[in-house]
Amino acid sequence: MALFLTKRFLQALFVVFAVTLLVAWAVRLSGDPAIMLTGGAGSVTEQDLVNIRNALGLNRPFHEQYLGFLYGLLHGDLGNSFVGGTPVTQLVAKALPATLMLAAAAIFVSIALAVPLGIRAAIKRGSAEDQAIRIASLAGLSFPNFWLALMMVLVFSILLKWLPPSGFDGPVSLILPAVTAGVINTAANVRLVRTSMLETLSAQYIMVARAKGLAERVVLYKHALRNSAIPLVTYVGIQFGNLVAGLVVIERVFNWPGMGSLAFDAVAGRDYPVLQGVVTVFAILIVSVNLLIDILYGLLDPRIRTE
Amino acid sequence: MLNRFSRLSMAAAAAALVLGTAPAGAGGRLSVAQALDPGTWDPIDTFLVDWSKVANNIYDGLIQRGADMRLTPALATSWKVADNGLSIRFELRKGVTFHNGEPFDAQAVKYTFDRLLGTEGGKGPQQSNYNVIERVEVIDDHTVNMVLKKPDPVLLIKLAGYGAMIVPPKYVAEKGDAYFNTHPVGTGPFMLESYEPKVGIKLKANPNFWGGAPKLDGIDFRFIAEPGTEVAELQAGRLDIATLIPLSQIETIKKQANLDVLSVPGPTVVVLRFNTKNGITKDENVRKALIMAVDRDTITKEILLGQAKPIVSFQSEISFGYDPNLKPLPYDPAGAKKLLAAAKVAPGTAVQLDIRGNDSTFREVAQAVAGYLQGVGLKPTVKPYETSVLLNDIIPAGKTGEMFHTQWGGWTFDFDNTAYLMYHTGEKWNPYDSDPKLDALLEKQRSITDQNERLKLLREVGAYVAGRALELPLYNLNTFVGINKRVKGFDLPGDNRYRFLNVTVE
Amino acid sequence: MRASLLSRHRLLSIELVLGGILLAVMLGGVLLSGWLFPDGGEAMDLRARLLPPFVNAAHPLGTDPLGRDVLARVSTGGWISFSVGFWSVVGGAALGTLAGLVAGYYRGIAETLLMRFADVQLALPFILLAITFAAVVGSSVSLLIVLMIVSQWVQYARVVRGSVLSLREREFIQASRAFGLPDARILFVHVLPNAFSPVLVLMTLNVANNILLESSLTFLGLGVDPLVPSWGGMLADGRTYMQTAWWITVFPGLAIMMTVLGLNLVGDWLRDNLDPTSKLP
Repeated sequence: MALFLTKRFLQALFVVFAVTLLVAWAVRLSGDPAIMLTGGAGSVTEQDLVNIRNALGLNRPFHEQYLGFLYGLLHGDLGNSFVGGTPVTQLVAKALPATLMLAAAAIFVSIALAVPLGIRAAIKRGSAEDQAIRIASLAGLSFPNFWLALMMVLVFSILLKWLPPSGFDGPVSLILPAVTAGVINTAANVRLVRTSMLETLSAQYIMVARAKGLAERVVLYKHALRNSAIPLVTYVGIQFGNLVAGLVVIERVFNWPGMGSLAFDAVAGRDYPVLQGVVTVFAILIVSVNLLIDILYGLLDPRIRTE
Repeated sequence: MLNRFSRLSMAAAAAALVLGTAPAGAGGRLSVAQALDPGTWDPIDTFLVDWSKVANNIYDGLIQRGADMRLTPALATSWKVADNGLSIRFELRKGVTFHNGEPFDAQAVKYTFDRLLGTEGGKGPQQSNYNVIERVEVIDDHTVNMVLKKPDPVLLIKLAGYGAMIVPPKYVAEKGDAYFNTHPVGTGPFMLESYEPKVGIKLKANPNFWGGAPKLDGIDFRFIAEPGTEVAELQAGRLDIATLIPLSQIETIKKQANLDVLSVPGPTVVVLRFNTKNGITKDENVRKALIMAVDRDTITKEILLGQAKPIVSFQSEISFGYDPNLKPLPYDPAGAKKLLAAAKVAPGTAVQLDIRGNDSTFREVAQAVAGYLQGVGLKPTVKPYETSVLLNDIIPAGKTGEMFHTQWGGWTFDFDNTAYLMYHTGEKWNPYDSDPKLDALLEKQRSITDQNERLKLLREVGAYVAGRALELPLYNLNTFVGINKRVKGFDLPGDNRYRFLNVTVE
Repeated sequence: MRASLLSRHRLLSIELVLGGILLAVMLGGVLLSGWLFPDGGEAMDLRARLLPPFVNAAHPLGTDPLGRDVLARVSTGGWISFSVGFWSVVGGAALGTLAGLVAGYYRGIAETLLMRFADVQLALPFILLAITFAAVVGSSVSLLIVLMIVSQWVQYARVVRGSVLSLREREFIQASRAFGLPDARILFVHVLPNAFSPVLVLMTLNVANNILLESSLTFLGLGVDPLVPSWGGMLADGRTYMQTAWWITVFPGLAIMMTVLGLNLVGDWLRDNLDPTSKLP
């Protein structure tokens, strides 16, 4: 077991390392931040640009810059934004909770929709209702997310004036983005709940429970759902990475000050440290979640360790 | 997070309470949205209009320029140009203090320009705008003398904004530049309340402002990059002023009874410049044909809904150097076809237009231009780039297609700034052309201070460029914002550098 | 062996019928666009801007802000969506299947490399990758396709590797090896056909996914030539007209939805019938 854990941990470290290297290389292809910082201003001379590059530390060779970044990373320092010099850790510290909160709310919405629908579909397996649930949940997945977001704003903010169209002003402003992001993941979760409910319901102990004359509600929610929850929880973990990345568009429409907005602005502004920082934090996050899942699996199912 | 939410809502409740019990005549808070967070509020670090929208309320220059574009005294009460334009003497306003209580005096002016022209300023984009200043001499506590390396006809305008905003010497020295970036202190009518990067900045009234306390209690600026979202917020009544609205949503806004659109002539001029070095656009007659192929009047009327005026040279009517007598090439598709045939340009020849992908208005204009080019038998394509890529890599490196979008909004309203950067040999924005005659004209107007002579020369530049058809002139776009009618007393400045001193909200 | 699995499910379900009809309608409309609308929806008429739908016989679905016919553009615009969807998936599946076969069959270093590569890939969010690279090289359809291939081949590789791992221990493969058949023959004739069902399912779902991705990237301003009609581009450009001229965005939006729903329904049905024990999302 210790060997398995060490191995997985080293692999995770390698992934983070590879991602940082890849990103450090890629952002530097994206052009000169010094030109960006001076915009179209006045008669900027080549010497002005050189001064700015030196001030940003871009005159050093790539390996030095990269090693500097790694050194900082190990010490919890992601460098300073080229624009305004704010420490990247400070920007991430604000953006990450915002994104995580949105992701969590989206997952909550998606589970809240998927569990009852999935159970219903499983019970009524093969019926028109089952089909309708599956088709409707697939339809929810079939909109471009920005389109769905804009429609939500149009209906709930502009026409009905129930909810704020954007911003970060308390729980009400979480509703629209969370529902938009949540609906998209619902179809997959409905299918998952349905399938695992079907498996569980045909299991021996459920038959026994029914034979004992337990109320159907108790059988469903107490016994069957509990067992069906395990695959759902694991899958939500896997979904997490995709979800967080997919929030870029939703964050932009709803002006949510999360990691996606931060990264998008950083690309546009060639803010190397911010982009590097965001992607690295993303990578660490996703890798840790995967590692956690693997470890849980390893603990639960010894066969996986030997694979 | 929830904690923070509850604190926010408590603050909001407290604010509401204060508002409710405030004496009659109190101004309330104004909320304004803009696209970008400049990331730093230090005057020497930025070139963004979005910086000025906020910072124009925090800082003062020696001189200020109002919504009517006239220069008036600010921190200097008077000034006199001497030594054939090689020095300017400023009498400074007395009894002014910075927001932190530090007094404003001649030392502050000297410090500001020493900093701007020194190493700290060298790290930012503003220094090159003010390089003409040799040094600032302190005559007494309330008099300074600015010594110039050579005369600069637009320096006075430049002193009314951006890098020339006066900063507090002790505060900057004590707190350091990094702190100053996010905690700006000036002498202006509003002072910093709180700044949250990427989210917004809140200002509160400066009761001791030298020009009298502002009527508002404060201003909340929010950063909203997606124009549609700004409009939605405005429609939902959560914004007073939306500063980035798509043209196509003007009608939407006007339809709502409590909203309006303010529109004034602005500095933004838009052209499609030609690649004069490669491809079919190397030929002057082909360039003229392309200009004649496009019905620019219809584009401004139909697509830009009258929010723009056609131009002939790369400047607006309010620009110094504008020539009302300069006539454009006519819209004449038949004539264009003849010119193309004479130049042996085969029907179906490809023409590429490089544009900024995220500018929704220009995307439409570019497609309309392409439609007209199709009309004379060409095969246009439109290539969208990310703005920074187009501006920094594609154009300066001379990697554009036959035509490329250029938009210029020089805040100095002087054609010199634009013309020199666009047409002088070797400039970053002029990757293709080199014309000794044009170079000579541009250099000559820079060396003289006689404004009448300069005007003549600048007009000559405009006419010469139009004659050589170096660009397809399109239009001068109005400056417009969406506004809630509860806002009173707001004069929209064409350069978008707002000052909310006399604004009230109902 | 698949036949016995198939028979346990209803072959003709409402999902398949609905999905099939949706796909047939959309694909038909797009394939016929060249013949129905020879101008490709590019003909502009600034005097006929923003005509509403259902009132003018020449423009049954109205016109856009440049007076171009919305029906012609929706019909022609499907080309981009379908080609992005098709080529990205074909490319990803080809690359991924090959890698998966090699890794699963030979194991060893190839497998380790693949799995580590997959980990790195999964830790790099696609949209961030896309906006970074679009900033570097400028955006184009081919770039979008390449990026999708680069970020998705790993999915196929993992699925195929999984199938191969279990297949290679089966008697008929062991037997083929014992006979000394060449590896390539074993892989492509015996292993691949038996590992292909999940790949097919994944392909269908990814076509749907990539059509949506194309529109999202266009929304972020990283799309393709705005002269070439595309559904994503029409949505992105028309979004500011949502309140004044709904038809500009509603029709391309519906086109995307119908196509993607059709693909998802068919993909779902394929999964139920070809790959019932799937661990695919």
